[in-house]
Amino acid sequence: MKRYITILLALVAVNTWAIMPNDGGCKNLQNFFRNVQGFGRLGYSIGGTAPLGMPAEIRSLNKFILQPNVSFGADLIKPTSKHWGILAGIHFENKAMHIDATVKNYHMKITQGGETLEGVFTGKNDSHAVAWMFTVPIQCVYMVNDKWKIKFGPYFSYLTNCGFDGFAYDGYLRVDDPTGAKVLLGSTDEERGNYDFNEDVRKCQLGIGVGVDYFFTRKFGVYADLNWGLSGYFKAHFKTLDQTLYPIYGTLGIAYRFK
Amino acid sequence: MNFLKHKVSVAVAVVIVAGVLTSCFKEEPLNAECDIEKAWVHVSDVDSYFYNVTDTLIEVISTDDKIVFTMRDGVDVTALAPQFTITDGATITPASGSVQDFSKGPVTYTVTSQDGKWQRSYTVECNRVAHYITEVMNFDFEHFELNPSNQAYYIWHNILPDGTLGDDWATGNGGFRLSRRSAKPEEYPTIVLENGYDGHGVMLITRSTGELGKISGKPIAAGNMFLGKFNLSKALTKTMEATEFGIPFTQKPLRLSGYYQYSPSSPFIDKNFNEYPDRIDAGDIYSVLYINHDRNGNPVVLYGDNVLSSDLIVAVARVKDIKETNGQWVNFDIEFEYRRDIDMDLLANRGYNLTLVFSSSIEGATFEGAIGSTLKVDKVRLTCETKE
Repeated sequence: MKRYITILLALVAVNTWAIMPNDGGCKNLQNFFRNVQGFGRLGYSIGGTAPLGMPAEIRSLNKFILQPNVSFGADLIKPTSKHWGILAGIHFENKAMHIDATVKNYHMKITQGGETLEGVFTGKNDSHAVAWMFTVPIQCVYMVNDKWKIKFGPYFSYLTNCGFDGFAYDGYLRVDDPTGAKVLLGSTDEERGNYDFNEDVRKCQLGIGVGVDYFFTRKFGVYADLNWGLSGYFKAHFKTLDQTLYPIYGTLGIAYRFK
Repeated sequence: MNFLKHKVSVAVAVVIVAGVLTSCFKEEPLNAECDIEKAWVHVSDVDSYFYNVTDTLIEVISTDDKIVFTMRDGVDVTALAPQFTITDGATITPASGSVQDFSKGPVTYTVTSQDGKWQRSYTVECNRVAHYITEVMNFDFEHFELNPSNQAYYIWHNILPDGTLGDDWATGNGGFRLSRRSAKPEEYPTIVLENGYDGHGVMLITRSTGELGKISGKPIAAGNMFLGKFNLSKALTKTMEATEFGIPFTQKPLRLSGYYQYSPSSPFIDKNFNEYPDRIDAGDIYSVLYINHDRNGNPVVLYGDNVLSSDLIVAVARVKDIKETNGQWVNFDIEFEYRRDIDMDLLANRGYNLTLVFSSSIEGATFEGAIGSTLKVDKVRLTCETKE
């Protein structure tokens, strides 16, 4: 995966080099910005913070509750040739998720106040993730024509408000391993196993985005992006879940060209 | 026509999306568990083998690896064929229903999980009990050990009428371990008292269950000890049912005596950590005799919420007002109060259960009490009627 990031960064660097003013000065800077295009965006994201490849322990998805995943921000595109350009921007967005899944023999390890309860859980699990963040995309743009643009490149995010909590319910935990004590979990607040991993969420994330812009007038357009997280949602020391969770979200929205 | 085309394309899209979604889910993993869930013995003449029909079937608690059938004294156990309900897909050797000789002691059965990765061993034995008449039953708390399966906390053994050690004492220590995994054996709610009234005694301390206990709404664990079974599987859900009070008892109890020390702590809190400055914690010591079957012949065990209130209770002996003793041993000697007549035939046929309960916080079952309240108990005597 690291290699792909390196290649992408190299592509971006080559493009950046191509657009850099050759000699300094205000005039050159003005020249530089002469053909820069500016866009405002407002979109809605849908997706999940999920393992890559569904582990066999996850048996079914019972509920997928839509979240207030708005995304808004601005991008600048500097054309470097007739078809190519480079995009940089800043977005403020939420990548939240609320799901309810049925699991079987799902290994988990809950740590709270220095105490750990570890085992395999069979039953239902309700998870809720919130992640408000600033995202900076740096992308190569291929401008097919006046209407269509294709974008791809890395993005970096910094989470300002995040959390991951939920509860295991209507099932049982085998303490330590499948031969351990069987502890039933019910469905009321007191009978279920609540967890809260807010402290363990990684604040800085990076990933790869691909997207398409379609402008039906000179000013107004729509866009579709797919942002694929390459860094795990939790910090490296987090061992509660066996799988690393990656935020994978698609965004649909409207774009407005202001420059 | 166009409309129909549209419908068809929507249908196709739905099928594709559904297909993609379902293909995400892998094939169900094989079962990893390997429990004996139930064990039963089928004999042609039940009444000559067993005291009660219900003794032929045992529901096995997940933490138990010892299955004991209680039978009449002197019956032939050289060729019995116990049968088992085990986890789906698991296998058991020797086979369920195979004829085994139980006269030479316990027979070991091994269960292997469906996925082949896990195994559990169980011993099955047929305990032929004679009808002993003991005037005074002694509970001195001298026989204890670290739980053999995890070495995490102490368990106690009682002395059976034939002089062997029984497993009738239970505590909530196993439940405490769910929330305080790092606790040392002496940090559990029920621990060994080195210097009791005479030799060792038992010490019960109301403990904090820490952050994990707090998030499950059970912030304290009272020290408790009782004759019966602790069913860990219910510790987080039907908590009151985790304490299964009582063991079959074949004599008429008359008096309960012994020694205790009590020291209430403060502040008194409830399960939401609200403090009650006016309430002072108290200890609890009692014994209850009850009928262990309902009118339809189904086995009954009393739980935390009905052990002192059930209609099936025959007699109760409860020490009143266990409060601060200032480090002194206090003697108690109380009579059983009979609420109804006792049926001697039923008694001889194991139709009654008796429990004996100690708790460091009288409201501990509902998670109310003071962290640190301490009850010490030793040299408990149960005096029974000896005239036949």
